[in-house]
Amino acid sequence: MIEVRRARIDLEAVVDSVRRDDAGAIVLFVGTVRSDERVKALDYEVYRQMAIKSLTALAERAKDKFGLTDLSIVHRLGRVPVGGDSVAIACAAVHRAEAFAACAWVMDEVKRIVPIWKTEIADHPSRVRRRR
Amino acid sequence: MRIQVRLFATYREIVGSRGFTWSSRDGLSLRELVDGVVAKYPRLADHRDTMLLAVNHDLAASDRILRDGDEVALLPPVSGGAR
Repeated sequence: MIEVRRARIDLEAVVDSVRRDDAGAIVLFVGTVRSDERVKALDYEVYRQMAIKSLTALAERAKDKFGLTDLSIVHRLGRVPVGGDSVAIACAAVHRAEAFAACAWVMDEVKRIVPIWKTEIADHPSRVRRRR
Repeated sequence: MRIQVRLFATYREIVGSRGFTWSSRDGLSLRELVDGVVAKYPRLADHRDTMLLAVNHDLAASDRILRDGDEVALLPPVSGGAR
């Protein structure tokens, strides 16, 4: 499952999407919008066609690199309030070590190469700024 | 030929548009296109060093020769996901 969506992420569906009988471990990473001074939400802007292409290629690289049985990445688009989930990555492998390592690596790569930008939405309109 | 130019985040705000069509002679390189866009919108010049370029949804080098109908995206450094 590779997806960029406006609606909230169904975490159980993300986990279920990588379930297989030959996988003994599923690691789920969830990135959430943390509270920061006066920030009430983050706005995610996505170059959708390139992001889907880039996420799909990234998933294939991760499967090869870590020997995963399956992998799903779902990222939000648009406004996500503090406490909301912005990204979910589920990695399934025969054993847990590969699944943990893959999840960390994939999240770093998402931040590094996938064309997604976020803007902080403040509780006051004059305090909007980009977050890296 | 005609190139579709797309802009995101900071660049979209600077230009005040999500994109536009750029008409030019055949054989234009990506670098020449960006030179032209930056000349038209000088406030983009400060971002030139960190600007990533994509052609038809793949990152591309600036010596790439463009073709009619290509989609070029000017991409600020990315920041998706969680910290």
